Amino acid sequence: MNVGEILKNLGESTGFMGFGGADGWKALIMIILALFFLWLGIKKKFEPLLLVGIAFGMLLTNLPGGGLYHAEWWTGADAVANGVNYGYILQHGGLLDILYIGVKTGVYPCLIFIGVGAMTDFGPMLSRPSSMIMGAAAQGGIYLVLILAVATGMYSGGEAASISIIAGADGPTAIFLTKTLAPELLAPIAVAAYSYMALIPLLQPPFMKLLTTKKERMTVMTTTRKVSKKEKIIFPILVTIIVSLLLPSVAPLLGSLMFGNLLKECGVTERLSDTAQNALMNIVTLFLGISVGATAIGATFLSAKTIVIVVLGLAGFILATICGLLIGKIMYVLSKGKINPLIGSAGVSAVPMAARVSNTVGLQYNKGNYLLMHAMGPNVAGVIGSAVAAGFLLAVFA
Amino acid sequence: MGISLLSGVFKSTDKIQVVDAILLALIGVVIVFVILALIMLIVSIVGKAFDKSEVLKEKHPEWGEKLAAAKSKMMFWKKLKKDAEEAEVAAQSAPVAAGTCGELKLINTDERDAAMIMAIVADTTGTPLNELRFKSIKRVEEEK
Repeated sequence: MNVGEILKNLGESTGFMGFGGADGWKALIMIILALFFLWLGIKKKFEPLLLVGIAFGMLLTNLPGGGLYHAEWWTGADAVANGVNYGYILQHGGLLDILYIGVKTGVYPCLIFIGVGAMTDFGPMLSRPSSMIMGAAAQGGIYLVLILAVATGMYSGGEAASISIIAGADGPTAIFLTKTLAPELLAPIAVAAYSYMALIPLLQPPFMKLLTTKKERMTVMTTTRKVSKKEKIIFPILVTIIVSLLLPSVAPLLGSLMFGNLLKECGVTERLSDTAQNALMNIVTLFLGISVGATAIGATFLSAKTIVIVVLGLAGFILATICGLLIGKIMYVLSKGKINPLIGSAGVSAVPMAARVSNTVGLQYNKGNYLLMHAMGPNVAGVIGSAVAAGFLLAVFA
Repeated sequence: MGISLLSGVFKSTDKIQVVDAILLALIGVVIVFVILALIMLIVSIVGKAFDKSEVLKEKHPEWGEKLAAAKSKMMFWKKLKKDAEEAEVAAQSAPVAAGTCGELKLINTDERDAAMIMAIVADTTGTPLNELRFKSIKRVEEEK
């Protein structure tokens, strides 16, 4: 028995040797980046529920030799030409390969939407239906970014569409669209979407103050009509039927959202609603975060494309906020000063963070002027709006 | 549908021109607005219908009372029918009382009470017991 040879083999099989390979330095940088994201999530509390998972997935996938995730099985030339071989992956795949099936098949975003639906109260939107216009307007950011991404000349149509959806400020929708149109960009798009969502309290207020007058910001909104239980039950059923018939590609996302909401509102499925809001949501968030993070391989992540995605994502959030605010201002005029334009910025769908920001800025200028419930209307309308926008882009490019 | 016309126009890997992107953006914005405006319209109509029904209820309280009365009447008849069905099932499955010609069924009643009841009936009506025919005796629970 040659002890020296055994030790040599053992040394060569360690992950440390992997750093000496062609893309070894990129893996090292990705590990440092993963540690940075972990710090952002844990210390700075930037969307920690997802960012911690994404960062840890990033860490695991870039540790050489682990074999937890094989990017080539998902986005390699063979997978693109002949489709993903799920049977092979189930037999030979690593842990993160198996978990990634839920992303690739679009199951996780839909399950998350069931949870989001179960946590969402559409009451404020139903009591003031005009708030849907603000939710629609904020989606303008998505389409402006689509134009910008195409203008850079760096991206294909599908990639540009996937980048543009970051402006929808809706993580599950961004993942759902990207896994189909540009799976190789999933990690940077998901990281950008969730990071900017966490930064909404910092990103939106300067533009809210810039685009509105003090008088507009001080507008006190009157209480709206009370929405009956029956209306809340009818709404998810009606919306699912109408929107899915008009735009079938949106059915998985919107159907899941509305199903979750029906569980909450119908009053006879409390246990299911509770599971959707808590246990299911937590489990899927865990799987989604770690498997999306796993796609952040140094060789593809560390590129000029990623940097431009980060810039375009930021531009998208700002443009969406501006679009919402501008429609808010128009509605302020049309309603003869009864609608506070600050709630327009809540049209970006980050629920409920964007609505909270509208409330906070409103309170700064008029103590006692609580805009939260009024802002929830455009906020939840934004969720529907971004799902519709994603459905449209899927219909065009898929 | 309009959307299906767009399907297959581009592949996700196709590079598209800025003009195409602008056109897509315009169509996309219109679609989002149209769909949300449609939902808004439906929500408004449903909301108004509910408000109207509330107003009508307040204006004509007698309608509400009539509706409630009709509902309770329906419930009463349903309950009566259900009780009768249950009694029939119970009567069919109840054991035959000992010493009878084989027809008397006792439901939640012991033989001693049944004998007393039959004796009381015979005495009250002045009819000899062997001329009376009892089919079943059922204990009726008092309503609380």
